[in-house]
Amino acid sequence: MIHTENLSKTYMMGDVEVQALRAVDLEIKDGEFIAIIGPSGSGKSTLLNLIGCLDTPTSGAVFIDGIDTGKLSENGLAEIRREKIGFIFQQFNLIHTLNALENVALPMFFAGVGRETRIKRADELLAKVGLGDRMYHKPSELSGGQQQRVAIARALSNDPEVVIGDEPTGNVDTETGNAIMGILKGLNRDGRTIIVVTHDAEIAAYAGRTKRMRDGRVLD
Amino acid sequence: MKDTFLLVYRNIRERKTRSILTMLGVVVGIAAVVAIMSISYGMQESITEQLSEMTDIIMVTPGSAELGSFGDFGSFTERDLKDVERISGVKEAAALMGEMQEVEYRGEKVMVEIVGIEPRDMDAVFGATVKLEEDGDSETSASGRELRDNDRKACQIGYSVANDYFNYEIGVNDRLTINGSKFRVIGVLEKQGGFRSNVDAQIYVTKRDAVTIFDTDDISTIFVRVRDIGEAEGIADEIEEQIDDNHKLDDFTSAMAMGGAIEELKSIFQILQVFLLAIASISLIVAAMGIMNTTLMSVMERTHEIGVMKAIGAKNRNILFLFLMEAGVVSGIGGVLGCIVGWGAAEVISFGIYTAFDVEIGVVMKLQVLLAGVAVAVLVGILSGLYPARKASKLSPVEAVRYE
Repeated sequence: MIHTENLSKTYMMGDVEVQALRAVDLEIKDGEFIAIIGPSGSGKSTLLNLIGCLDTPTSGAVFIDGIDTGKLSENGLAEIRREKIGFIFQQFNLIHTLNALENVALPMFFAGVGRETRIKRADELLAKVGLGDRMYHKPSELSGGQQQRVAIARALSNDPEVVIGDEPTGNVDTETGNAIMGILKGLNRDGRTIIVVTHDAEIAAYAGRTKRMRDGRVLD
Repeated sequence: MKDTFLLVYRNIRERKTRSILTMLGVVVGIAAVVAIMSISYGMQESITEQLSEMTDIIMVTPGSAELGSFGDFGSFTERDLKDVERISGVKEAAALMGEMQEVEYRGEKVMVEIVGIEPRDMDAVFGATVKLEEDGDSETSASGRELRDNDRKACQIGYSVANDYFNYEIGVNDRLTINGSKFRVIGVLEKQGGFRSNVDAQIYVTKRDAVTIFDTDDISTIFVRVRDIGEAEGIADEIEEQIDDNHKLDDFTSAMAMGGAIEELKSIFQILQVFLLAIASISLIVAAMGIMNTTLMSVMERTHEIGVMKAIGAKNRNILFLFLMEAGVVSGIGGVLGCIVGWGAAEVISFGIYTAFDVEIGVVMKLQVLLAGVAVAVLVGILSGLYPARKASKLSPVEAVRYE
């Protein structure tokens, strides 16, 4: 279970202080599929980055399975990102020097998983997202939808409980977007917690629960 | 580990030109160090080899030794020689007479240094290093024989005299005209080169013949071998005092213990070696800055990638290790290539010195030098990669991911 308490984040944009997140309290249950929807600048990505342990709050706290992530060291946070969370980005963010298989295997490499297990599992995951025949292609040789599917396979490589998607369909056409949401829906059905940020109500409709955000606050 | 290498290799290949240029910096630095080390080891070896036989020698000359042995500074007498022989600690003393004389061979006239010596003293003067030339191409099986006490109008000639001084090569049994009288060549000496190249340029005759040619029995140099090298300096002082006394002059005699001079020479070479190494190290420093620069640029360019790696769970040390490996691999390969290039350069330098100065300096390639060369390269790479790699590892994941 993930929950936030009084979570706030303030950025400095030059000399201007920007309150990206204002005292957010949010609870996400295990196995839930939640969509956070809001216009750009509403703070939804900031919230996602904090939940995903990519960033640290200005005040307040994020608890993941009862652990106060604010009390973790950089290494502790890296371990949470590695083991408990799978991140999917709008820009796919694959490592362009590595092929699909190696990209998927990379989180397992950082986790110290043996080479054979890594390749076997990466192979399975790519087959699962329908890219069994594209394993040795570089990201530049794949379409946007294919790249995002590689990214999903990568997010799953250490078998995390939570998959976080920051506008996962933002860079693909509607049809591909639906296919990707279908995959995420399937992952949710398998018992994984899915948190997706989007500004697209149609995409949000895949989720079991939708939360709206505006001006750094979660609306009820 | 293998996969880390793969990742590193991909990144190096991705920036091929830059990686090669960076590597080149290391290659030059390491090659310079390796070449200098092996050449100076070669020098040391040839000094030791050529001069080790000479450490127990005291060379006694009139006047200041630095100004050359056979100058117009006066000469010694038979009495001086006898007195020197009597000094305790002196094993043997040999008198040398030397003068430049006109030598004629097949109508060609050249000035050559003629040295008169008692044949039995030859060994004392030269030790075992000066031998007769081994001759394979002439009908005469060996290149003659040693001078003997009862030889008359016979000479041994140095290698250069035999081969280079005259248009025609001189061989055993050929006849030379020295200052008007005919001499038969009874032996050709082996090439010496290096610190004993003077031997190559001399003609040796018996002392008796020398007296006739020079029309004087003045002794120009006394060679002394001592029993104990440790006492050489003291004995040299005693010799100077004794001969000065004989001639009733101050500072007339210069007795130089070769052992000390050789040690001095060795230490000069060591200083030279350190100096050259220091210069070579500058190129290593430049190479280090090159590595640092390349790695910094690589970190900058890959900020986004680093962010992604962190987002999917890479720890700081994973990132640190990747970048250190990258710097280490580039410089390690540079180090290996540098050793090879350095070796080649050393051979070229050695050949160049031989061609230009006729001094044979072997290339002494020690395994330690090669290993140290690679190790230093890797170390330099890792040290200069440390700052950029740390910088990379400390990047905030969220900012790095956002960086485009």
